[in-house]
Amino acid sequence: MATQAAPRPAALPWLRLDRLLTRLGLIAFICAIGYLTIVPLIRLQYLALKNGAHSYSDAYTRTGWWQTVRWTVELGLGSLAIALVVGTGLAWAAHSLPPRLSLLRVIPILPIVIPAVSSVLGWAFLLSPHPGYLNQLLRLLPWWHGFDGPFDIYTVPWIIIITGLALASFIYLFVSSGFENINGELIEAAQVGGSSRAGVFFRVVLPLLRPSLVYGAGVALLLGLGQFTAPLLLGRSRIISVLTTDMFFATQQIPPDYGLAAAIGSPLLVFGIFILFMNRVLLGDNTRFITHGGKGGFRQSAPGSKSAAAVIVLYGLLSTVLPILALVFVSLSRFWTGDVHFNRLTLGTWRTVTTQSGVMPAIWNSVWLSLAAVAITLPVGFIAATLLRKRREHRIAAPVLDFIVAMPLSIPAVIFGVGFLMTYTARPLVLYGTRWVLILVYVTLMIPFSTRMQLGAMAALGDAYTEASRASGAGPLRTNFQIVMPLLRPAFGGAAALMFVLLTHEFAASLLVRAPTINVMGTILYDYYENGIYPLVACISLIMVGVTTAGVVAAMVLGGGSDAFKRL
Amino acid sequence: MANVRIRSLTKRFGGKTPTTAIDDLDLAIEEGEFLVLLGPSGCGKTTTLRCIAGLETAEEGAISFGERAVFDASRSINVPPNKRNIGMVFQSYALWPHMTVRKNIGYPLRTRRVKRDQAAQWIDDVAALVDTTPLLDRYPAQLSGGQQQRIALARGLVARPELVLFDEPLSNLDARLRDQVRTEIHELHGRLGFTAVYVTHDQVEALALGDRLAIMRSGALEQLAPPDVIFEEPATEYVAGFIGMGNRLVFERHDGAWWLDGERVDGDLDGIAAGSTTVVARTRPEDLDLLEPGRDGAGPGALAFPVTVLDAAFGGRHLDVAVTTGTTRLLGRIDAGERGGWPRTLERERHAVATVKPRDLAFYDGDDRLVSGVGRAVGAGV
Repeated sequence: MATQAAPRPAALPWLRLDRLLTRLGLIAFICAIGYLTIVPLIRLQYLALKNGAHSYSDAYTRTGWWQTVRWTVELGLGSLAIALVVGTGLAWAAHSLPPRLSLLRVIPILPIVIPAVSSVLGWAFLLSPHPGYLNQLLRLLPWWHGFDGPFDIYTVPWIIIITGLALASFIYLFVSSGFENINGELIEAAQVGGSSRAGVFFRVVLPLLRPSLVYGAGVALLLGLGQFTAPLLLGRSRIISVLTTDMFFATQQIPPDYGLAAAIGSPLLVFGIFILFMNRVLLGDNTRFITHGGKGGFRQSAPGSKSAAAVIVLYGLLSTVLPILALVFVSLSRFWTGDVHFNRLTLGTWRTVTTQSGVMPAIWNSVWLSLAAVAITLPVGFIAATLLRKRREHRIAAPVLDFIVAMPLSIPAVIFGVGFLMTYTARPLVLYGTRWVLILVYVTLMIPFSTRMQLGAMAALGDAYTEASRASGAGPLRTNFQIVMPLLRPAFGGAAALMFVLLTHEFAASLLVRAPTINVMGTILYDYYENGIYPLVACISLIMVGVTTAGVVAAMVLGGGSDAFKRL
Repeated sequence: MANVRIRSLTKRFGGKTPTTAIDDLDLAIEEGEFLVLLGPSGCGKTTTLRCIAGLETAEEGAISFGERAVFDASRSINVPPNKRNIGMVFQSYALWPHMTVRKNIGYPLRTRRVKRDQAAQWIDDVAALVDTTPLLDRYPAQLSGGQQQRIALARGLVARPELVLFDEPLSNLDARLRDQVRTEIHELHGRLGFTAVYVTHDQVEALALGDRLAIMRSGALEQLAPPDVIFEEPATEYVAGFIGMGNRLVFERHDGAWWLDGERVDGDLDGIAAGSTTVVARTRPEDLDLLEPGRDGAGPGALAFPVTVLDAAFGGRHLDVAVTTGTTRLLGRIDAGERGGWPRTLERERHAVATVKPRDLAFYDGDDRLVSGVGRAVGAGV
């Protein structure tokens, strides 16, 4: 056919306009997310650098500054070391479980599910030098005497241990979800090649997981350095401070010094961005979400070991069961004196908890602010994930979006809290004192989770379904609504439940941006803790655990199950 | 119905190792034609198909369906896949697991806003056509691979599109089903007469289905011809190798005779390679025969040369024998004969005489140009 295609004059401008609108929409979307995740950080730095950066010189010349830095580094590295050993060990144990005990695999995930405030308080009730229940028990042993001890929870080593035990969950998740992506034949090949099960684990599995393990360790280090709850609740009495608590106190002094807080937080900010950047450089884009081909996962080839089960049960006991038991016990006592009198237990605190000032509104706030944030973050994450999937089409936009979406994951929530406090007490958007500032902070903190989880689910779905839809004559909208969204429904459920759980836990950022009249569970808990009303504190902690558990059950029901957490 | 014109299409992939997937490709597909794109993986055939579908965007060139330009880089025209009115059958079937078979098949009709009762009629028609009527209310996960592929076929055809694209649709099926579904696709094309572009790396599929085959290499066309022409007159050694002529024989003329890798060849090639001293020949294993040394039996005009057996494998009616002459390794598929016969005694290190008829060879000159195809009488090819 020699004839040229007939000119279609209408097609050209229409297509161009269409493309222009798409591009404008993309820019608007990136700007909106950037406003949430970047602007607070920029404002903080602006403030810290104002007046010849005097906030920086103030911060770094104060007495005790280097001690704070040292404690922060100790906390970061120490908890990372514990987490790596314990987390990898747990993953190894979970892999060696006898088949009928395979349900135990859920136990190492529990510390992520239990609110950090609750377990830290639980440990305080267990290992407080004099009244701690565990200490009392240990003093019964013949070789420990005296009025106090043998352990003191309010010290740096114990803050590190408790943080490390909690972070072990993250390492466990990284390593064990890595297992499942390893082609089972690779492992069988190693076994046939003559490796024992331990040999396979250390010579084949761990080296294969090295990239994700390095990334997991980076994330755990960030979390350790940015740890807020344990140092705040346990370090207060001995004036142990780390960068995050230092920042918090700078905002609590009168008048609050946000510039100082920003300067104190800068090392964490720089390190967070560094880890984020290294991750992008080292691991490429979303390769760690692509499930590998072949027959997936580990299959049990040797009979499981009982000691593996014992290891996991011990971890569950230390990280979850004991602290919760302590909370239950305190919540049933009139006062926390450390005396153990089973006949004096009372439901008094539980009966009055609903009438205590601010408790019910705080629970209610936690639930509905979290739900509102989830409802906003889910579609935002869907759009972001869709754009990130089309990396090839958006050569500039995708990496930019990727970066700003990931920011809240690598920067401690305390920094975001201070940034939000600053940003929304000033124009153009004065939201301080409203619930909106909490919702916005929650949305910001959850954007990376929402995006990553949906991106992972989309990657697992592959392109064929959407391409088949486009080739069948469906436009992008119809394809998204009739094909992609129904197929992603389990992922939506899982992501929503996970975000709900994380948000009802949220403590650090909430504590910073709340107004005196608006509390959530975590902040009201802190207030009562400061006032020393421990049975009530224990009650509220347990209610937090309950709300969270409801979220987890929802995750299991809505699909995804424990996989939802592995998508992280 | 439409013909498809591809002009100067070029598609590159960036990334760490930039590659040119399609290199200045020109291709015309006639209305109602069944065109097969054939080549090894990485030759650009699937990318070409995806560019036709609109699932990939090329950097340069143009694609038109009939009078309608669907892609033109110079005029910034790129019609999205959903506006191209095509049907497509995917390698992985890509049946949406959350929809019943009926909904899967009916989807292209819903996107085209076909009226409900007419759509129901068309779905029933196409389901009957691919013999899947009893499956309409099941979900894809409840179907076998062959059934799924038939549904995918029905979905590609139901809206009676101008053009149906097939992306290696049979490669996930086992051998027996593959033959069966292949025959069905051939029948359907005969009955419905759609224009089809079919990507495969399987020469049997290509020969059976295609009105014409386009053999691709490194993003460009190596040969475009009907299957019998490709089979008998492969234009280059690459094509010959790809469609089964795995044996490569380099004949040289010196000292008044023809030689193969240092062994003197009985027989005459002068009729084909008059005037040249070197000629390359390609042949299929089926056309190479083996004789017991000292026995006469090569047909008139056949070429014969001594070989040593490397391996012999029993295949029922035939034996697959690997032999070597000098450093040239050849494969022969010979008649297994009767039990106790000479062929059955073949084993490593045995000597034999390989024979091949010149009419079973395709000859190439030093520039990889076909001198004489298979089936030509000796001497007629030059």
